[in-house]
Amino acid sequence: MSNTWLLYMFFAAALLFIGIYCLLVMRNLIKLFIGIEVISKAVSLALIGTGFAKKNILIAQALTVTFIVVEVSMVATALALIINVFRHTKSLDVRKLAKLKG
Amino acid sequence: MIFLFIALPLIVAGILPLVGKISKRFLPDLLANGVFAVLLACAVFALRPMIGNGPVVQQLSWLGESVNIRLVLDGFSLLMLFVVSLVSLAAGLFSIDYMEHYGGKANYYSLFLIMVAGMNGLVLTTDLFNIYLFLEVAAVASYALVAFGLEHDELEASFKYLMLSAVASGFILLSIAVIFGLTGGLSFEAVSSGLAGLDVKYPLAVCTAFFILGFGLKAALVPFHAWLPDAHPSAPAPISAMLSGLLIKVSGIYAMTRVFLSVFGLSPALSTVLMYLGVISMVVAAFLALGQKDIKRMLAYSSISQVGYIVLGIGLGTPLGILGGLFHLFNHALAKSLLFLNSGSIQQSTGTRNLDEMGGLAKRMPFTAATTLVGSLSIAGVPPLNGFWSKLIIIVALVQAKHWTFAVIAILTSVLTLWYYLLIQRKAFFGKLNERWKEVREAPFWMTAATLALALLCIVTGVLFALMVKDWIQPAADVLANGVQTTFSLLGF
Amino acid sequence: MILQIALLAGLVIFSALAVLARDLLKAAISLAVASLLLGILFFIMNAPYVGAFEISVVAGLITVLFMTTIALTKTEGNVRESKAARVAFPLFFIVFLIIDILVMKGLVGKIPAAASTPDQGTFGEALWKMRTFDLVGQIAVIFAGVFAVLALFRKRSKDE
Repeated sequence: MSNTWLLYMFFAAALLFIGIYCLLVMRNLIKLFIGIEVISKAVSLALIGTGFAKKNILIAQALTVTFIVVEVSMVATALALIINVFRHTKSLDVRKLAKLKG
Repeated sequence: MIFLFIALPLIVAGILPLVGKISKRFLPDLLANGVFAVLLACAVFALRPMIGNGPVVQQLSWLGESVNIRLVLDGFSLLMLFVVSLVSLAAGLFSIDYMEHYGGKANYYSLFLIMVAGMNGLVLTTDLFNIYLFLEVAAVASYALVAFGLEHDELEASFKYLMLSAVASGFILLSIAVIFGLTGGLSFEAVSSGLAGLDVKYPLAVCTAFFILGFGLKAALVPFHAWLPDAHPSAPAPISAMLSGLLIKVSGIYAMTRVFLSVFGLSPALSTVLMYLGVISMVVAAFLALGQKDIKRMLAYSSISQVGYIVLGIGLGTPLGILGGLFHLFNHALAKSLLFLNSGSIQQSTGTRNLDEMGGLAKRMPFTAATTLVGSLSIAGVPPLNGFWSKLIIIVALVQAKHWTFAVIAILTSVLTLWYYLLIQRKAFFGKLNERWKEVREAPFWMTAATLALALLCIVTGVLFALMVKDWIQPAADVLANGVQTTFSLLGF
Repeated sequence: MILQIALLAGLVIFSALAVLARDLLKAAISLAVASLLLGILFFIMNAPYVGAFEISVVAGLITVLFMTTIALTKTEGNVRESKAARVAFPLFFIVFLIIDILVMKGLVGKIPAAASTPDQGTFGEALWKMRTFDLVGQIAVIFAGVFAVLALFRKRSKDE
């Protein structure tokens, strides 16, 4: 596989790291969700980068468009959940969501 | 005809809000459960004979032109369709009475139907990206269903579930992107033939690791199980039944098995990893289940433990092991959904899920007590119920493959499972009737009917297990035992 | 090439800013800028459709959703994030980047790949003719999202 593919994967991995770091460390619910958004960018970049390197950009675009549609659905659901949580606990602190012990 | 399994739930889900404006309860109940009944009838009567000659490929056509929707029905898909329609019918019937006090019934049924459509789409497709897509469809529906009651616990559980599940989906899609890069294709056939011709040990190992992380989280294998003990208890009881009985199996185990056995091919290293994951889940979850006071939490940990059994059987890779694993998948789906539905009955009648507060309910709720007993004994593996046979097959397969330690651990965990299930029976149903429950009544009609039907199926599957195995499980196991060959055989279509 | 690397670097920097920012509004805007850069990058990579989609949906619609949520959840005090994590981030990040570079350098030329059939037709054909089942999935996931939001925001009547 060409070096351009590795270049895009390098940056996708960096974005993945940033996203996971955000999820591990942050406490604000909305910030946590920004972490998921960054991971989504990593995935879009990986998909299009792969398509670009393999000269299959059209299929990669179709996949990425579908993925973005899925992402929008997920964002809408998650933000609806966050607003509901806020109505209950009046706070966006994830430590307030520690009632259940997993 | 096969496309009906995806199209019908989606269409009914779409029209349900309109119907819900006219009739708040009766029509949504009728339509949704009607769909489930139709799908079950289809699976049993129409589809079962179709696969006698090998996998069935349906290529759709729209107004004469062929549309590129290719659905493949083989033994494994058929087994999953069967169990999905069975459990969703039971949970749907149960919801008729149980979801009364939640409100928004039409909306609930819409989400339920979308979840079923997503699961059906997942098992019928032969394309990696479609597996991801329909997995997400079912997942998004399930996030809302877990949080349906809009109380603090449910929202918290749903949020954690969403976060972890989104990360898992991200990893799955990353792995799919890399596989697309390696092989240039996304369908099972293209990927299999592509991987066979390349020397890709290192990147493939990374892809496999990402898949284990992603699908393992969906299946709630230890150490990716953290979301399940919160999500399953907090959800409304029929949704807990659907999640524990179906979703973790379809989006976790089915997807993982299909990709690892039919597309990648089960290498010895992968087999060992899966078996260890299975055993760890089995044991750790069984111990964690012991200390629980909340009945649904105990059932949730038990689900993780039983999923460990299934993965152990399938990971073993021998035809008998796969047979045992798939049979246990089927049995556990029936029995665990039965138990979760009953916990809903108890919760509705007594208002509590705390085992310490219950006592002697058998006198007031005889049907619930009896069916819970059947379900518990089934999962614990007591003859002649169905769970006994599936666990026996897995243990025999382990012994045949000379994995003595695993077999011993499996037997000991079975004993542990029996212990904590008898604990539930004793604490909740037998013993002296707690004063508080003097006036409780048995669960309403549809709830009892659904659980009775499931309990009856457990007994029948146990007694007639040879017939069940030959008709439904063996074709599925054959498909998987052939490994990558089944995928290559699709190249000709 | 330089432009692409610059855009990629900008993408990573703005994403990191979005995560580290103290104020939620600034974080959302950083995320929008990152999406914008990613969209422009997609245009340069010969993927105009997904570039337009990314900019209009992710940098547009999702940012609007974030802003709405931030507005609806305004509190007196902000949630205090741990300072140590914010300070430690650059360190961990640099370490990760070094590992990343080493891994990628090690993989140069080592990844075999099947030559793929070159693209035929247009994007429309790719989406509508080759990935038709994805469209069914898209409809399903849009339904799921819509019903999920409806379920989560439904009015509870007095007796529930």
